[in-house]
Amino acid sequence: MTARNYIDVYETYDRFAEGKKVSEKEWDYTIIPRNAQMMKERYEIDFGRTILPTDQDLVDRLFIAGVDMLITTGIFNPDLGTALSIEEDEIYEGLKMAPKKLKLGRGKDKCSCKARRGNTLRKPVIQGGPTGAPVSEGIFTQMIESYAQEPTVDTIVSGVLNTVDGHPASTNTPWEIKATMAEVRYNREATRRAGRPGMCI
Amino acid sequence: MTGLNMLAGWTTVGDMIMIEQMPIFGGYTGGIEETAICDVATTLGSFACFSGNFHLDGPIHIRWGVTTAKETLQVAAYAAAAIDQNTDLLLANQYYPMAGPCTEMCLLETAAQAIVDTASGRELLSGSAAAKGVVQDKTTGMEARIMGVASEATCGMKISDVNEILNKLVPSYECNYTNAPAGKTFQECYDVKTVKPTKEYLEVYDKAVAQLKDFGLDIKH
Repeated sequence: MTARNYIDVYETYDRFAEGKKVSEKEWDYTIIPRNAQMMKERYEIDFGRTILPTDQDLVDRLFIAGVDMLITTGIFNPDLGTALSIEEDEIYEGLKMAPKKLKLGRGKDKCSCKARRGNTLRKPVIQGGPTGAPVSEGIFTQMIESYAQEPTVDTIVSGVLNTVDGHPASTNTPWEIKATMAEVRYNREATRRAGRPGMCI
Repeated sequence: MTGLNMLAGWTTVGDMIMIEQMPIFGGYTGGIEETAICDVATTLGSFACFSGNFHLDGPIHIRWGVTTAKETLQVAAYAAAAIDQNTDLLLANQYYPMAGPCTEMCLLETAAQAIVDTASGRELLSGSAAAKGVVQDKTTGMEARIMGVASEATCGMKISDVNEILNKLVPSYECNYTNAPAGKTFQECYDVKTVKPTKEYLEVYDKAVAQLKDFGLDIKH
């Protein structure tokens, strides 16, 4: 059946709220491994030894197995202890809403992230940075600048400040917010120092 | 629920939404194929239920805590190829090598994943969190340099040729997982005032590039 409409965040919440009750233990230890194993067998998924796939039919079966896994299993919400369910047409309706192209950054430092389709000649966007690794306050800007100054780097991914004004940036405290705001300032300063002020962060 | 509430705000004001997910090979999802199936399912779910604009993957190895092991590279490659061949979704991957900066192993690990992500059709490469991303100040721009250079050299290659390179490259560093070099901090790898890499790191980088060329990767510059 065709989807009634695209599932937005509000519909997602409602489906969680009205979803089937399930414990985290049952989800982790029974439902996920059982269904994943079932899909592997149903679609005869076996990668063999090669790291990159060369069998187009296997790749397509893996995609269908993933769709089936999502329909059969749903998505778990540990806070509510429920799982939402979704139909096949609703998945494809959601995929249609996703952008095929994103503009990242501004001005001369802007880059485009477009669907590539296989190993095309167009290189992927290179996002350089510590990727959430911990970074000292005293060298944060310089470390980010070391990425921003690399010609192959298109955008920046931040690290995490361990301290802000010498104070631990503890989770769920106001210091966490102060640290996050400082990270944004330091990242922007680093791209300016590298001569690329419009780089996407 | 905090995440859903924040998502409601971000989507309302029109922010760009990236959904991140790191499936654990050897965890609840089980083996390589089962983890890849769950990876595809959750990637699709991030677009279908959480308004994702692009998806950041990161299959991670339960024993090693890295994304650069053969098994996690396979999960990432197959999941990306499956979605790439059947949709126009924007797919990214993140980098957690075992070794620390200023070591050939760290650069080879990063290059291997860049080769896999590029050849499997991903649109964005995000990294790199050297030393598994858990040690303070052990990340530098030089790892991003090799990520970009390896990616550029891979673009357009035949998949069978890329697999041949990976068959030599991945075992060359995997054998060192139990004794991986810790590497150096950013302060030891760069002049912090000028933000220039040290001569030592440049030499290590050149050796890693030479190694990649020996394996068959056609790096021009």
